[in-house]
Order: sequence, then C-alpha cells, then structure tokens
Amino acid sequence: MSADRTRPPVHVPKETRAAWESPDPTPITLLEKIRSEGRVWEDLAEQYGVTNPDPPWKTSLVGTCEALAEAECLGTLDRRASEDELSENLYQDLPYPERELVSLAHTMIRRGLIDEEELARRMEAVAKRLNS
Amino acid sequence: MSDKHDKHEHAPMVDEVSFFEILEVSVRELAIEKGLFSAEDHRRFTEFAETISPAPAARLVARSWLDPEFKKRALADGFKASREVGVDWLKPTGFGTPSDFCDLRVLEDTPKIKHVVVCTLCSCYPRPILGQSPEWYRTPNYRRRLVRWPRQVLAEFGLQLPPDVEVRVEDSNQKCRFMVMPMRPAGTEGWTEDQLAAIVTRDCMIGVALPHPDRKANAKRPLHLAKNPVHH
Amino acid sequence: MIKRNHHVEKATGKGDPWCFKGEAGPAKFKVGDRVRIKDLPDIFYTRTQTYVRGAEGVVAVVTHESPAPEDESWDNTDKSEWFYIVRFRQKDLWPDYPDLYANDSLQTELSERWLEKA
Repeated sequence: MSADRTRPPVHVPKETRAAWESPDPTPITLLEKIRSEGRVWEDLAEQYGVTNPDPPWKTSLVGTCEALAEAECLGTLDRRASEDELSENLYQDLPYPERELVSLAHTMIRRGLIDEEELARRMEAVAKRLNS
Repeated sequence: MSDKHDKHEHAPMVDEVSFFEILEVSVRELAIEKGLFSAEDHRRFTEFAETISPAPAARLVARSWLDPEFKKRALADGFKASREVGVDWLKPTGFGTPSDFCDLRVLEDTPKIKHVVVCTLCSCYPRPILGQSPEWYRTPNYRRRLVRWPRQVLAEFGLQLPPDVEVRVEDSNQKCRFMVMPMRPAGTEGWTEDQLAAIVTRDCMIGVALPHPDRKANAKRPLHLAKNPVHH
Repeated sequence: MIKRNHHVEKATGKGDPWCFKGEAGPAKFKVGDRVRIKDLPDIFYTRTQTYVRGAEGVVAVVTHESPAPEDESWDNTDKSEWFYIVRFRQKDLWPDYPDLYANDSLQTELSERWLEKA
C-alpha cells in the first residue's frame, strides 16, 4: 500500500500550541438533544439480540480520530484531555463509545472545526438517507 | 437482520438508526468536505481499526514461552519481532499511526517483577499488536490511581502479589508502547503454541491479570468513577 | 500532543521515531546512571508528569531519538534528543507509599532535557 496520497487543502489553522485549554463545558443544544434522546448501543444491542459489544460505527470513529490527529487538526492528547473533562460533567451519563463520539463533536464545535448549525442540518440529511 | 455471533468482521445490523450513528456519519462527512482530512485517510485508519486484535500479542507471548531465541528477539526489538507475528507497525500510513508510533517494548515478568502498564496522560496503548484498549484502561480512575496505589488497583482486578515481588508500573507517556510478557503458568506442560496463545488474554498483557490454564477470556470489569477528578 | 513532526517522505518505510535515528548525537546518559528530573517551567505543552518533577531515579533503557514534545510549540522540528526510560522507587515518588512494598517501582519516559546527573 503506497503512502502517497493527495491531501486536500486544510482550511483550518493548526491547533494552538498554548498550554492545554479546558473545553468550554457550556452545553451545546444539538448535542444535548442527542445525549438525552439518543439510543445507546447497549440498549439497541439488547433489544435486537445482537452480541457485538461495539456499535457498527465504532471503527469509523477511530478512523476519524486518527485522521484528525494525522492532519494535525486535533491531536490525540488534546482530544483525550477534552474528552476526560467532558466525561466528568456533561456526558458522564453516556456509555463509552457514545461519550467519546459526543465529546469529539463538542470539542470540534468549540474549536471551530465544525459548526453546530451545519452539523444539525447534515444530521437531518443523513437521517433521511439512512432511514429511507 | 441480526447476527447473533460475535464476529469482528461482520457488523451486525439492528433495525434502527440511532442519533449516534447519524452523528458519527455527519461529523465525518463534514470533516471531509471541509478538508480536515481525506476520505482515503479515513478509510485507511478505519480499516486499521477493523483489523487489530490481541491475537498477535498473545502469539508473541506464547512463542516466547516455547522458543528462547524468539523471546530474545522479542525483548530486544519489539518493532521487528512484531513482524514475525504478522504485525507491521508502519501500517497503515507507511510510517505508523499518530497514536501508536513504532517503538514497541515487551516487558518480561519474572518471579521477582510484575509489570503493569498505564498511560496517565491519555491512555496510549499498543493497538497494532494488542487491539483496541478496554474502556476501564481509558478511565481517569485507572490512570490516576494505578501509578499511586498499584496494589490496590490490582487487588480490585483480583490480583494480589507477595510484598517482596516488585510491582513495576510502566507509565507510557511518550512514543514507546508497552505490552507485558507474563510468566508461563504451571499446568501447561507440553502445550502447543496455539493452546498457550489461547490463555494469554488482553488483560494479562496489560498486566492486570495472570494467565491461567483454565481461563481464555478477560474477566468482566466494573467501572469506578474517579473520586477526585483533577486535571493531570 | 505527541506531534508527528516529520515529513512523510522522511519517515515512510522507517517509521516514527526511527526516522530520527542519528540526529541527536551522543546520548548524555546511559543505563544505570542516577538522574534527577528537573522541574522545567511549563511554558507550553509537556509530557513530563507533575509527579516525577524533582524525583531521583535510574536510567533503565535508552530508547530512541526524537524531537521533544515541547519543541512542537516553537515549530522546531529539526532538533532531536535522546529519550530515556527512568525507573523510580515508588517510595521516592509518594511519601506515604507503604514500607511493606519497598521494592515497588515505576518507570516512565523522559527526554534528555529533563534529566540531570544526580
């Protein structure tokens, strides 16, 4: 497998080199909705009698985290430190890996990598697609 | 349609799309459209996540128990010895992943020394050879307590060691990645490499369990909340 | 964060950190040396834990050469230093560690700038 790849232009600045900053723990409306209404894998698996301990999107989440680190948009240490903090307050009720996923989204929104509005719009479009 | 058997390659289906599934897709698609990373890179790393498991590490331990020359190689150069059990730490990029790097160190337990691995900073773990880390390994509870009260934490895992045994905690805070080579248990005389590999569980190679001839699975772990959450 | 401060071309086929081999010059310390962990000011990002600052230990392994995580703050990706696994007695890290377990130890990895001869 060749390591050659065309890297698309990265339109975001590299993350700041300053000392680690706490993520802003102010709840994000969209994520609060997901947190409170989303069905976690533990429950879905039980309901449908599926024994795989991980949801099918778990490996794709790993892919996203690694790709973000490799592209220098969000490093592993900063992402995990943010996840630790958010896991102790806002998202403590969520099981892992839902907690990891939502913490990632939270961190990306707070750092300006993605926008809450566009994420909400995209979720609507994806929901339609997946449910059709 | 659901698959009732645990199959790592086969994603079982549930007849419902959760908000989390939608969120994961949405975050990924937006990130790719904005040029944060490419679809190709995402695919590469996702495939990496799908292929890793503790099996090669178990084989490395089992083979070390049987073959003193291989054991020497494994202890001298983990990166190179990994290739002998089918693991190439350079994958999937050609120079390793941003979280795992390429310097594997194998920690050999002896009658006098018991190793146990942690990453206090962020839960670094030797994924290419040991698979995905378990949830408890990633918790602040484990990370903050193991360095400070290792025997207490090990006792919670059901592992108690005599006072004269040196419990050696390895805090993997830089680019090196660590796995434990536990001692071969009694009751396994004459076993093949396959038989031995079957009892070397992931938890044995983190260091919180000892291999036993009757045990092929990791014990279920209760998760504790950290009592004093403090940023490292 | 541990940044991958290499160029793809440089590291491909060799791996990170092996691609920095030979860049740090001679290692200042060797296995068996007694060292003390300096308490350098945390101006920027560091991977040296609070709990080892000022502690004394012994070099257990000389691992590899690599740019230090602190250097990424200055975008200084050209300079590599040697990294060392240092072993401490738990009793030297935690004042109330039980005497009963006097043999217990802890190892962690530090780059050369953090070490001085003890």
